[in-house]
Amino acid sequence: MALLLDITTTAALLFIVSAGLFVIFGVLKIINFAHAAWLTIGAYTTVVATRMGFSPWLSLPLAVFVGGLLGAATEIAIVRPLYRRSLDAILATWGLGVVIVQIITLTFGRDMQMPPALITGTVDVLGMPYSSYRLFLLVAAVIMGLAFVLVLERTRLGLNAQAVIMNETLARALGINTSQVRLVTFMLGSAIAALAGVLLTPLSSVDPTMGISWLIGAFMLVMVSGTSVAALALACLCFGAAQVLVSTWISPILGSVTVAVLCAVVLRLHPKGFARG
Amino acid sequence: MKNAKPTCLCLLLATALVSGPALAQEGEPITIGVPVGLSGANSVIAPAVVQATQLAVEQINASGGILGRPVKVVVADDASGAAGAQTAYNTLVFQNDVDVLIAMETSAARNAGLPIVEEGEKPFIYSSFYEGRSCSPNMFVNGWVPEQQVPPVVEKLMADGARNFFLIGSDYAFGRGMLEFSRKYIEDKGGKIVGEEYLPMEGSDWTAILSNLRSAGADAVITSTAGGTPNVTLTKQLRASGISIPYANLAVDEGTAKAMGADGVGILISASYLTAIDTPENKDFIAALEKKFGGEMRTPNDLSTPQYEAVYLYKAAVEKAGSTETEAVLAAFPEVSFKGPRGEISMSKQHHAPLTMYLGEVQADGSVKVVAEFPNVDPGDQCPDL
Repeated sequence: MALLLDITTTAALLFIVSAGLFVIFGVLKIINFAHAAWLTIGAYTTVVATRMGFSPWLSLPLAVFVGGLLGAATEIAIVRPLYRRSLDAILATWGLGVVIVQIITLTFGRDMQMPPALITGTVDVLGMPYSSYRLFLLVAAVIMGLAFVLVLERTRLGLNAQAVIMNETLARALGINTSQVRLVTFMLGSAIAALAGVLLTPLSSVDPTMGISWLIGAFMLVMVSGTSVAALALACLCFGAAQVLVSTWISPILGSVTVAVLCAVVLRLHPKGFARG
Repeated sequence: MKNAKPTCLCLLLATALVSGPALAQEGEPITIGVPVGLSGANSVIAPAVVQATQLAVEQINASGGILGRPVKVVVADDASGAAGAQTAYNTLVFQNDVDVLIAMETSAARNAGLPIVEEGEKPFIYSSFYEGRSCSPNMFVNGWVPEQQVPPVVEKLMADGARNFFLIGSDYAFGRGMLEFSRKYIEDKGGKIVGEEYLPMEGSDWTAILSNLRSAGADAVITSTAGGTPNVTLTKQLRASGISIPYANLAVDEGTAKAMGADGVGILISASYLTAIDTPENKDFIAALEKKFGGEMRTPNDLSTPQYEAVYLYKAAVEKAGSTETEAVLAAFPEVSFKGPRGEISMSKQHHAPLTMYLGEVQADGSVKVVAEFPNVDPGDQCPDL
C-alpha cells in the first residue's frame, strides 16, 4: 500500500514539475531551458508572500501571475525571433536561466529560504499514516491534467493551439493569429512552471539553484511524451513507478538515475516515445 | 610552462632569504594566511570564518600583538576546491610569504594545499571538523573528528532506549565516512543497524528511503548528508511523512537547524561549539562579534569558532617558542593551550585536540538547548606516527 502511494505521488510530482516545460515544447517546439529558473521564481514568490505576512496559499495565484508576466516578457523580448532556430533558442533560454538565478542570488543571497509549508501533518490511509501534502500533490496533478485536456479540447485557444501544432502555415492561412497563440502558450507554460515551484517548497530546499535538480527529469519526460497530455501522464506513472521500485528494492542511488536511463532506452526502441502516431 | 620552474625556484630562494633573521625584526607585522572558500560550496559559511579571524587579530593587536609585533591577515579565496586551493596556497606561501596558515576548508582543498605548505615549510592549523586521519608534520587540527562527534549522539539515543538504528546519508566521502564510523560504534555498543541508505548529493527525492525507514522498525534515525540542500530536503520530507522517532543529524549546523522552523524542532546536534554554551568566554566572544560587526555579524558556529581559537593558539605557540620560526612553533603547538568559547583547547594528541562535545536539541522557539556535555572527548589514534 505504501509502495502504491509512493508511486502515484511520485508520478504526480513528476507531472507537476514537467507540465510547464511540456506546454511550451508541445506547442512551440522550443525546449525552454529557463524552466528551472521559472521553478525557482515560483518558489521565491512563496518566500516573498510569506515574508509580507500572507498565507503561503496566496503564493499560488501570485506565482501564476508573476510567471505569466515574466513569460510574456521573455517571449516578446527573447524567444520570438528564435522559433525557427531551435538550437539558438536552447542557448538563449539557458542563458536567461543563468541570469535569473544570479539575480535571485543577488536579491535574496545564496542562503536557503524556509517558507512555511502549505500543508503539514499526515492522514491515515487504511491505518497507515501518510504525508497529507503528498496526497494533496496527487489531487493537484489530477486537476492540472484535467484542466489541460479541457483547455485543449473545449476552448478556442486550445483548438487554435492544436491547429498550430499540426500545421502552422495552414493555421495562419485560416486566419488564426499564430503569434498570439504562441505568446499565450509561452505565458501559460511559464505560469504553470512557477506554480510548480510553489508546490515544490514543502518538499525541497528553497535556494537559487533549486530548480536544476528537477530540470533533467522534466526534460526527459517531455522528450518521451511529445505533444500528448495522456502520454505525459503515462510516462510519469511508468517512470515514477520504476524510480520508486528500484529505490526501494535495489538502491536509491540507482533509483535516482532510472528516469534518465529509461527515457534513453524508450527513445532508442521507439523514437516517438509514449506518443502515438 | 618552461618558465615556471625558474620562477618557482626564485620564489623559493626569496622565501628562504626573507624568512631568515630579516623578518624577525621588531615591529615587522606577523602575517596570517587564511585560504578559505569565499566562493563555491563553502561560500555560505566562509564569511563567519573571516569575521572570527578578524576579531581575534583585532583583539590581539589591541593588547600589544604577538611578541610586540602587530598581526596582519591575508585572505585568499580557494573556491572550496582543489584547483582553487593550489592557487591560494601558492600565493600565500610563496608570494605573501605568510608566517602561518590558519584555515577552515573542504577536505579537497586541504589535501591540495598540504604539499604546498610542506614545501614552503610553514606551520598550518586546520580549523575545520573533518573525516579524520590526515597527517602532516606541519599541520595541527583543532576541530572534531568522527571519534569525537558520533559517540555523544549514540550514547544519548541509547540512554533513551534506542536499540535499532537507521542511517541515511549523501553518497560522498564525508557522508559515508561518518555513517561507517557510526555503524561500527553502534554495533560495538550492542545496538543494531536495521538499514543504511544513501542518495546522490544532487538527489532531492527521499520518498523510497523514508518508506524503507518506516517499515524497518527503527527506534532512531541518524543522518549525515551534505550540508545545505540535501539536509533540508531530507528533513522536510522526513517530517512530512509523519515519522516521529528520535532524529540525530551529524551534518546540520545550528543556523540551518534553526532556520528550518517547525521541521527542525527536536533534531539532535552534536558539536564542539553551540552558541548556547554558558561560559563567560563564549558570552564575551559573541558580544565582541556583535560590537565589531553589528548588523553584518554572522552567527558564530562550529567552524568559525575553532578558527578564532586557532589564531590564539598560534599566538600562544609563538610566545612559548619566542619566535615565528616554523620548527620552534611546530614544537610549541602541542604544549600550549587556550581557553576560548569552546573551553580549554590544546592540540596535544597526535596533532589533534581532545574536545568537550555538546549535544544540542532544537527547541520549539528555534533556540538550541544543550542537553548533555561530554568533557574532553579523545580524538583517538589519528596520526600514530607523529
